Amino acid sequence: MLIDAHAHCRGPLEDKKDPWEQDRLFVEAMDAVGIDIAVVSNLGTPRPATIEGFQKCNRNMLAALKEFRGRLWGYAYVNPGYSKEAIADVERCLEADEDCVGVKLYNEYTIDDPAVRPLIEKCIELDVPILEHAGHSLVNTKAQPNISDSSHFVALGREYPEVKVIVAHLGGGGDWEWETKALRYASPNIGADTSGSVTDEGLVEYAIEIMGADRLYFATDMSVTAGVGKFMSAKMSDEDRNKMASENFLQLVGREA
Amino acid sequence: MTFDSNAYLGHWFARQIRHNTAPELVALMDENNIDKACVGSLSAIMYRNSQPGNEELAEEIADYRDRLVPFGVINPDYADWEYDLDWCLNEMGTKGIRIYPQYHNYTLADSCCAELCQACQERGLVVTLIQRQVDYRQSHWMVDAPDLVLNDIAQLCADHPEVNFMILNGAGFAGSRFVTEADTLPGNCYVEISRSSVFIGKEMKQVIEAMGAERVLFGTGIPMKYPGPAFLKMQHIETSEENKQKILGENLAKLLDI
Repeated sequence: MLIDAHAHCRGPLEDKKDPWEQDRLFVEAMDAVGIDIAVVSNLGTPRPATIEGFQKCNRNMLAALKEFRGRLWGYAYVNPGYSKEAIADVERCLEADEDCVGVKLYNEYTIDDPAVRPLIEKCIELDVPILEHAGHSLVNTKAQPNISDSSHFVALGREYPEVKVIVAHLGGGGDWEWETKALRYASPNIGADTSGSVTDEGLVEYAIEIMGADRLYFATDMSVTAGVGKFMSAKMSDEDRNKMASENFLQLVGREA
Repeated sequence: MTFDSNAYLGHWFARQIRHNTAPELVALMDENNIDKACVGSLSAIMYRNSQPGNEELAEEIADYRDRLVPFGVINPDYADWEYDLDWCLNEMGTKGIRIYPQYHNYTLADSCCAELCQACQERGLVVTLIQRQVDYRQSHWMVDAPDLVLNDIAQLCADHPEVNFMILNGAGFAGSRFVTEADTLPGNCYVEISRSSVFIGKEMKQVIEAMGAERVLFGTGIPMKYPGPAFLKMQHIETSEENKQKILGENLAKLLDI
């Protein structure tokens, strides 16, 4: 079984003849490359997201779960700066659909920012994982001043060792060696996904060597051939491949295949 | 035949590259059923004087000439590049060259680039441009090498209609002159598939429709990149089986007369 732990949906596009055209293309791609389930969020709002913005995103996400039942699971996307409303929308999504299995955060705040704490504590209470946009770039650092890198996740893990977090896309364009090395001694509940358009040879094997396969998740972040292709090419044991393909994620969200 | 247009040997300054000797690369090719590959020196890209990198490449591939087809790295803004070009042709047997304006401090519009293209035309050599050697977001802190702009490459191709060009690690063709002005640009540019989409954006389908399958090349980026993504793209490109065979190797063999 192959679960894409980091993907996105568009939701119904009202200006299209087939409002599900874009998401259907993704599901067709999943079929073609053998992805059974993709865990999606909708980020289709200007950022930093307003309350209305992330609520709309989550309506789109929930509609997509319903439209593609069984193929898509969901993350509720919120701006944690609006603590009260963010927590309310996470709870609304989790209650609305059992296939909504976690929370997606972007780059409004680094994940160890005190503003995020109320949401972190709620996720611990609800026992749901957080997928957080991440990257450690050595150039053009002003583009995303509040993006989290592995050092922020390590700090979070010291404060909240029980929180379950996925560091997004080791192959998302930053210095993946830096990101991986910095996670070596992170809390065991802090893992990473291998998604992103970067297909540098050795990326996956290095992550296994440094972090261990128990903390890694297969994913594409919509770079379908990049995500699947590097997972396919990477050398690892069958046991590790199965863990990354689905077992780790199923364990993370407490579900069975 | 599977003929990879996009392979490398040598060292990259910013990270360790595995499988970067000729026997290791050929073993990787065997593992992935790749019959032949065009190879250029990674070391030559960042040497101030690229030529020793070409010489290292020639020595490295000496026992693998039936599998590895050398492409010299030429910097037309460096002293005595014409000697390097002729050495690559006459001593190494280069079939083409790779140029790196983004690392060698010139632009595609500069006169040195035009002079190099003219020299390649006279020698019957293919000119290769690598739109993105590495993702700029993971650039080394000492080096700022932005992606080449596809429309600038299109202009270079238009300015030198008698030269054949290859674009490696390219993406964004669908919105570029290569697709939007395909009918008016000379048919002298070949594009490699490793970064273009076959699914949601379906860029490769648009490229094939606009430029023709005869101008699309298989390439992986090994050993810098995993080969898997390129093979997945080949599997799922929306085109005929006949065209897939062309892309997989026939087009490149014809272009290089191999």
